Amino acid sequence: MRQVYVVGVGAHPWGKWPDKPQLQLALEATGAALADAELGWRDVQALVAASSRFEGGMGWGLHANEVAQAVGEHGMACVNVGGACAAGAIAIQTAYAMIASGRYDVVCAMGAERMPKGFIPRPPGSQDDITDHDYLRWVAMGATNPAYWAIEAQRRMHEHGTTAQTLAAAAVMMRRHAAGNALARFRQPSSIEAVLASPMVADPLHLLEICPVSDGAAAVVLVSEAYAKRLGRTEVRIAGCVAATGQFGDPARRIPTIASTVRAGVDHTSEVATAVARAFAMAGVGPDDVDLLEMADNTAWHLLAWPEIFGFYAPGEGDGMLADGQLTIGGRLPLNPSGGFLSFGEATTAQAVLQVCELAWQLRGQAEGHQVEGAKVAMSAVLGLGANGGSVILTR
Amino acid sequence: MSTPVAEGLFEETADGARLIGSRCSGCGTFYFPQAPGCRNPTCPAPRLERAHLPQHGLLISYTVQRYRPPALFRMDDWAPYAIGLIDLGDGVEVMGMLTGVDLETIAIGTPMRLVIETLYTDTERGPVSTYKFAPEVTA
Repeated sequence: MRQVYVVGVGAHPWGKWPDKPQLQLALEATGAALADAELGWRDVQALVAASSRFEGGMGWGLHANEVAQAVGEHGMACVNVGGACAAGAIAIQTAYAMIASGRYDVVCAMGAERMPKGFIPRPPGSQDDITDHDYLRWVAMGATNPAYWAIEAQRRMHEHGTTAQTLAAAAVMMRRHAAGNALARFRQPSSIEAVLASPMVADPLHLLEICPVSDGAAAVVLVSEAYAKRLGRTEVRIAGCVAATGQFGDPARRIPTIASTVRAGVDHTSEVATAVARAFAMAGVGPDDVDLLEMADNTAWHLLAWPEIFGFYAPGEGDGMLADGQLTIGGRLPLNPSGGFLSFGEATTAQAVLQVCELAWQLRGQAEGHQVEGAKVAMSAVLGLGANGGSVILTR
Repeated sequence: MSTPVAEGLFEETADGARLIGSRCSGCGTFYFPQAPGCRNPTCPAPRLERAHLPQHGLLISYTVQRYRPPALFRMDDWAPYAIGLIDLGDGVEVMGMLTGVDLETIAIGTPMRLVIETLYTDTERGPVSTYKFAPEVTA
């Protein structure tokens, strides 16, 4: 397999952009990534899109082709991949493999999303019967996504004594990180009092402890080693890049299922834990080598639980790590220096691409206002519906 | 007589309310709802048959939904309600609405039992029911 380098990253700021079509968001993000790489569309041999779940002009979930037809018809290969909220990671994994295999030298991966308002609804066209879990969870109990995360958070409070204040403090940390990031949507400082005073959505999770939905777009340009050398752009290398699915017996309350078949000794959120473990193995590094972790903080609970699941420290230690300042910029394992999903809001398919952009900016020392000094190994972790996990490790 | 929210999810039997799942005769694994295939990668002989799940279990976690879910969920006289996670044994943990609980004093570890209750009344279908979990009645 050939080495693959990240030579261009770009993103459209996250927010609500009712006047900008999804295609426009995609064009701005890909344009920024290409400008960063100092390349043009004619240099790009393939475009991999994390296919939109909610908008996709030329057919459900299709949009690499839309971009191609807007920027230049030079026969570029278009690949559209699914994976829900992990689709961005799967798009990058696909682009990575296309180059590592020797087939292509320059591949762009992107995600662009405009989200519907409120609770994420069930996609159209599904079966209205017991074969569709996403039907059952609504008709049998009305279980919203936050309800699943709340059940995990409540269990953590029971098992580890996590307090409401600790959950709130994790959310406050994300806002503090985002204050220095111009791409983030929510940059106003928060406080434990303000978080706890926000409406209770699903006990124990308050509104400000749950990621909202946003519109956004991000893109990366990946190239082969020989191409990177020719460009003189070998500063950021992909050391690990993995897509995975779940393991039998995983105890996670997996959206949208209504029951789990549980076996002892199986990782919680195993689709992501497996992706992370394989990314570590591929890169030849371990938890102690990671200078920052960009992870899917759909809620404050994720910030406490996920690093434990991945083996960064023991179960239950996250609360103390947070209180000691070890999870913020300057600490032992900075979590989401970008501000995370809690400060961006989730633009599903674009989110994991943005994570990788952030890793690259951190390694290049370009994360203005939220830089982790001297970062050399940066990791991402993301979860998507359908037991999709993704993890990327970049090194410099 | 009420109609279930989804056919094949649960049923009222002479033995009381039952959840309908699958059991693999090859490895003994239970699934809920009925599954298209055995997911156990080490199962020696995957073959699923329809099976009832246990009716009793322990509450291992819960939440209270304070906002009304999207319209696919219907409930007469909507008010915040609890969703619990119940360990039924045999390696199966099932989510379901809780009934007969005080939302402010729900306790993890409470023994629960399966019940069937009307969720709403539809003008054409009549009463529509779902499964829920209620605290065990103590003598």
